Amino acid sequence: MHKHFSLLDVTRRHFFSDCGIGVGKMALASLLTGSMGNQAKAGQAEGPASPLAPRLPHHAATAKAVIQLFMAGAPSQLELFDYKPKLTEIEGKPIPPEVIGGQRYAFIRPDAAVLGPRYRFSRHGNCGAEISEMLPYLAKVVDDITLVKTCHTDQFNHAPAQIFMNCGFAQPGRPSIGSWVTYGLGSESDQLPAFVVMSTGNGISGGTANWSSGFLPSLHAGTRFRNAGEAILNVLSPQGADMRLTDDTLGLINSLNRQRLSVAGDPEIATRIASYEMAHRLQTSAPELMNLADESPETLSLYGCKPEEASFARACLIARRLVERGVRFVTIYHEGWDAHSDVSGNVKNNCQKTDQASAALVADLKRRGLLDSTLVVWGGEFGRTPMVESNIARGISKGRDHHPNAFTMWLAGGGVQRGLTYGATDELGFNIVENQVHVHDLQATILHCLGLDHKRLTFRSAGRDFRLTDVHGHVVKGILL
Amino acid sequence: MTHSWLRLPAACRQWNGRGIVALALLFAAIPAAIAADAPAIQPPDFARDVRSILSNRCFKCHGPDAGHREAGLRFDRRDEAVKELDSGHRAILPGHPEDSEMIARINSTDSDLVMPPPSTMVQLSDSEKATLARWIAAGAEYRPHWAFLPPLRPTVPGVQNKDGLTAQTKANSPSDWGSNEIDRFILARLQKEGLAPAAKADPQALCRRVHLDLIGLPPSPAELAAFVADPAQNAYEKLVEKLLASPRYGERWARRWLDLARYADTNGYEKDRERSIWMYRDWVIRAMNDDMPFDQFTIRQLAGDLLPSATTDDIIATGFHRNTMINEEGGIDPLEFRYLAMVDRVATTGTTWLGLTIGCAQCHTHKFDPIEHTDYFSLMALLDNVDEPVWVIPSAQRSQQILKTGEKIEELWTQLPSQWPVPPPKPDAQQTAAAAGEPTTDSIDAKRSLAMAAGFDAWNRQESMLAIDWKIVPPAHIQTNATHLVVREDGSILGSGDTTKSDLYEITLPASDRPLHALRLEVLPDESLPGGGPGLCWYEGEDGDFLLSEIEVMLAAADGSASRSVAIAQATESFAEGKNNAAAAVDGNMTSGWSTNGSLGRPHAATFQFAEPVVPGTPLLIRLRFERYFACSLGCFRLSVTDQPNALARGHSAAEEAALGKAPADRSAEDRNLIMRRFWATAAEVAEPIKQIRQLQDGLRQGASSLVMRERPADNPRKTHRHHRGEYLLPKEEVTGAVPAFLPQLPQQTLDGPPRLAFARWLVSPANPLTARVTANRQWQAFFGRGIVSSLDDFGYQGQPPSHPELLDWLASELVRLGWSIKSLHRLIVNSDTYQQASAVSPQLMAHDRENVLVARGPRVRLEAEVIRDSLLKAADLLSEKMYGPGVRPLQPAGVTEVVYGNTAWKVSTGEDRHRRSIYTFAKRTAPFAMTTTFDAPSGESCLPKRDVSNSALQALTLLNDPMFVEIAQALSEVTIAAGSDDASRLRELSRRVLSRDLDATEMRSLADFVVQQRTRLAAGQLNAVALAGTACKNADAVECATWMLAARAVMNLDEAVVKQ
Repeated sequence: MHKHFSLLDVTRRHFFSDCGIGVGKMALASLLTGSMGNQAKAGQAEGPASPLAPRLPHHAATAKAVIQLFMAGAPSQLELFDYKPKLTEIEGKPIPPEVIGGQRYAFIRPDAAVLGPRYRFSRHGNCGAEISEMLPYLAKVVDDITLVKTCHTDQFNHAPAQIFMNCGFAQPGRPSIGSWVTYGLGSESDQLPAFVVMSTGNGISGGTANWSSGFLPSLHAGTRFRNAGEAILNVLSPQGADMRLTDDTLGLINSLNRQRLSVAGDPEIATRIASYEMAHRLQTSAPELMNLADESPETLSLYGCKPEEASFARACLIARRLVERGVRFVTIYHEGWDAHSDVSGNVKNNCQKTDQASAALVADLKRRGLLDSTLVVWGGEFGRTPMVESNIARGISKGRDHHPNAFTMWLAGGGVQRGLTYGATDELGFNIVENQVHVHDLQATILHCLGLDHKRLTFRSAGRDFRLTDVHGHVVKGILL
Repeated sequence: MTHSWLRLPAACRQWNGRGIVALALLFAAIPAAIAADAPAIQPPDFARDVRSILSNRCFKCHGPDAGHREAGLRFDRRDEAVKELDSGHRAILPGHPEDSEMIARINSTDSDLVMPPPSTMVQLSDSEKATLARWIAAGAEYRPHWAFLPPLRPTVPGVQNKDGLTAQTKANSPSDWGSNEIDRFILARLQKEGLAPAAKADPQALCRRVHLDLIGLPPSPAELAAFVADPAQNAYEKLVEKLLASPRYGERWARRWLDLARYADTNGYEKDRERSIWMYRDWVIRAMNDDMPFDQFTIRQLAGDLLPSATTDDIIATGFHRNTMINEEGGIDPLEFRYLAMVDRVATTGTTWLGLTIGCAQCHTHKFDPIEHTDYFSLMALLDNVDEPVWVIPSAQRSQQILKTGEKIEELWTQLPSQWPVPPPKPDAQQTAAAAGEPTTDSIDAKRSLAMAAGFDAWNRQESMLAIDWKIVPPAHIQTNATHLVVREDGSILGSGDTTKSDLYEITLPASDRPLHALRLEVLPDESLPGGGPGLCWYEGEDGDFLLSEIEVMLAAADGSASRSVAIAQATESFAEGKNNAAAAVDGNMTSGWSTNGSLGRPHAATFQFAEPVVPGTPLLIRLRFERYFACSLGCFRLSVTDQPNALARGHSAAEEAALGKAPADRSAEDRNLIMRRFWATAAEVAEPIKQIRQLQDGLRQGASSLVMRERPADNPRKTHRHHRGEYLLPKEEVTGAVPAFLPQLPQQTLDGPPRLAFARWLVSPANPLTARVTANRQWQAFFGRGIVSSLDDFGYQGQPPSHPELLDWLASELVRLGWSIKSLHRLIVNSDTYQQASAVSPQLMAHDRENVLVARGPRVRLEAEVIRDSLLKAADLLSEKMYGPGVRPLQPAGVTEVVYGNTAWKVSTGEDRHRRSIYTFAKRTAPFAMTTTFDAPSGESCLPKRDVSNSALQALTLLNDPMFVEIAQALSEVTIAAGSDDASRLRELSRRVLSRDLDATEMRSLADFVVQQRTRLAAGQLNAVALAGTACKNADAVECATWMLAARAVMNLDEAVVKQ
């Protein structure tokens, strides 16, 4: 049996033992047996089927859940994954115009000089993957991941590119991948939101559009977990209240709503009752989730996590706990990789914050037997140029501009190969020379692992069937098991 | 392609033998399958029953889009569908389903033959197959799509009798049911279905419903009681009139329109900076309250600037299409995002007025509706010929306050001499003064003026000596890559239109008859420019900034081409932003340049001395390059030359320098005034008062602008192209403005005028079959929760057929007949008996008509986010009635906005701004107000005709625990306690305030028990009474305040509190 089911039992036991007998108690006890899937029991009329009721995938899934480590701002693949000694060789010279083609740039001019990699690379693991010295922890788990060196995107500015990576469309307003997934598969948890978003870096360029439900029912929007205070907005009862008051209040509300249901007959009232039941469960399950006291010191040190301190490490550990509890899709944003100036300092700083925990997540999932069913995806919204960005007027030097043509992401678990390096770029790291993976291909592949066919996962809006991958996308079979 | 109609093989001929049996079975199954819709003897109605099958199942490959049409076969036109195919067969042989290839194919069990092909994942249901077969059997007649024909005013059913109802109708319905035409349409349909309308809602329910619908707020207990007690026959109608006249009406209905307009107070995308467009929002509120006829409302928003003698309000109204997002990331291509904004405008126009999914034709011809790819861009061309300024409201039309500021500035200038410091007396003079007694005011003033005069003389001597005799040179020729430059009478050059990240202005100056030693570039403010100029910068940087990357001076040959460059010996400027000085504009580095950021909105100048004088008779070619990483070109500037050496920028304006160059005797009064003010501006002695003047002047530049549309000048029209696959980077042939060919065309004569205005007028002209229907349908949806056409945004082939087609057409024609008065339409709807029915759902009705399509009961719908917040604020007597102005920031949980770019803080408004109506809540696109988002309010990213109505645990948590609602519960506690001394009367007050009704005995008992229980726990110290009571409640002790706060919180969380019923 899956861990989250046993945890649910623990929670039930807690309720039955700790909650004394009082007005509304029996009602609350019965609430716990209800779920969004069979809420009709709550009233005489049948409630409409919950949009979050679990649904069967299109085909057998290799992943039940996804953890997306979104390195927002776009990490430099040239300092981390895609080693190009040629750049050192020709450092200071411009890239030949025929290589540049008509590529548009955000800040630099196309004749900017080349900048060599700022860090050393070496080979690791049985697979011999080439990894930068800035990623010592990832280097230890390379045999469990697939490096895709040939991602490319249509967008070369942050907000559109982040939104494109999440929504398959560069402007805000369309559903994000997490929303599509919960729309396609429903929720496995009746305790927690199916799609959770955390953020540990700077403010996110694409904003809430990154986890919007777009034109899908708004229940599919990502729920943001805050770093400070209670994780979920408003999950904490007002100051001065206690658990019994919460029980009493919800008992009263639901009994009056039930009475109303018998008069008005509107099944939406039954849904409202179920919503308050779910809310009550959230009030218990969210604090339990965030309480890391039951994590061993060894686990905490594996991630480099201090339980009381908001950090990327803590978010990764919470992501694992979420997946254990049946949450479908977790995104952790770490915004701060936008290295227009001093790419070496930027990479060093961000790796210090993220490398250990990213690798720990893979290792931890693996040893708990969860990696097989959890797909971890690490990467930014685009890459960075082989050319240097420098601008005296703006006080900028030794940076790299946005590069949509080629960048590296890695995936682990959930049906992707282990110890694979996929695709190759040219000797300048400018263009892809084999096995390109467009953002839409990546999206199709993630959906595929979850058992969803990106061409069949559609929603009718504004006169046509929309899908995450627009009219594009191919599953990248070459990285699948 | 395996599934080809062309490749009809022998297998298919054989199939026909088997097919007859199958077909017979299908026919046999018909009566049961379609009995609910039509008697079996009647052939299917093409418009109602057949077209949607064809369009949903077949058009994708056999429809209007020639680019994706298979086998040359199309079903959207009868002549094509019945023609003989290359295979020799006919897809449709009218009258003969057994010989129609279509029927054979849809019934085929061969996966290579069956239509639609399995790969499309589209399947026909058995009843759809049967409908198609019966339709062909009946002759396969096509009829034009109902929505594309003009609405004809239908006969109102059952009006034969003088009392308005037929005998039969009378017999089957409540005797007094039916007060207007709406009811007769509804009743006729109900009777057809064997249903009767529901009883009238009870007075309290009705009072609450009509309040929530018309003004978005519940009645107060007093208003509720007054209505219930009003014995007048027309008590309800009186209430309706009162609500229609309330200023709250506009605030409620404007919000719905703003969903379509995708209104927000920030630009969207990464930076998501604040924009000033609230004047547009206020314009909508006023228009709603004034009941501006919808045709005028339409024309002003799309083309108000083009109306003869357009008013300020008419121009502000064009903000409708300026609500598109603006990407301010430095690295973007601004014209790409303008194109994307145009794409949004076309789709929004289609949705809002035409109820068509025009956006589908951006990439290719519409798959279902007759909208060609070119039609899409022709429609874009109608809206495209605009500049998009941050419009500074012209000074003359600004508010009194602004006029007063101007007067204040003048006053400060005149007072300046009296601010000049009195010089300290010399030691010996001090003794003299002491001997002479206290100095008189006269003597102080005299000393003051003497000191100032001395200062002025010294300054004037020096500046007059250094003043350069500049000659303003109007250009002989101008060429640019994007920006439109116009030379004005004073020799200045004004820019408008587009800017790019790589702009080049090439300006030829005519030859001079004197040797030239220097060039002066004045940069000038102008009200037409962003932020008042002098630059054209409108995103990423400061409004009105510019960065001159390089200025190149060339000697020009006779043909105007550059022959040799002129070396610049020295560059100076009157003001520079740090290192961005004039010298940086001649350093050969494109990333550096000259900017006057920090003193925008004011004139400045840079001078460029030539290393060698330019010999007389040589024209000059001046190249101004703007290569900043964001578009940042000059908007208003002027070029002058001089034959004097050593020209330096002294910071004077051209007029000041010219006046200084004159001999004192030749100076006019105006010259003297100009010079004196210039002197003061530079004098350290009056730096403080000058600073005050500058601040007031800066204030005039801010807070008085709105985003608007402005038609481009006639000599700079924008070209609109078709874009291959809809992509910005793939422009193809140029297109001209037109409406889609399947609709009545724009009248020829108006095409001579601005097409945008012609289009706006066409939208609301009788020629257009869609706008009145779409608008009436949207109003209906607002009241009943469901449109007569449930697909509010799609009246095309794919859209849902109307549940009551005649009623929709009658409402559409009535709307026009009422002079497009939306208020009148609302009055008609709420005064109908249909609207006034009770909303309770019986199990029978639930089984028969779960969605209430037939309207056999009153509406029961969850309230919109804003209505929920506003209603509870009103219930607690907290709601501010202050109208208009910039957005405010109500209380919301910490951390909502911190997650987005810039980690913006949400600084909660104070005073009554904390409790304004939700339409005034500052709408930040990347981090919208948490509570409204949770309750499905849009974030202004795209046009939204209909909101989702979700029902979630996060909504429950919000109503229970959001600090804003806790604060409301605390205030409710205060007013509840004040209403009575015993629990029963307080509970009555509470339920009247929040639910607008009296509780029944069981409900009273449950709540009373809860109150007693919590009071006991609070008194026993088991709960923290002080914390729960908050600070709002002052007229009772903490235990009582907390008790009623908890009761209020529970009642606020009842389903009914957030529902209209």
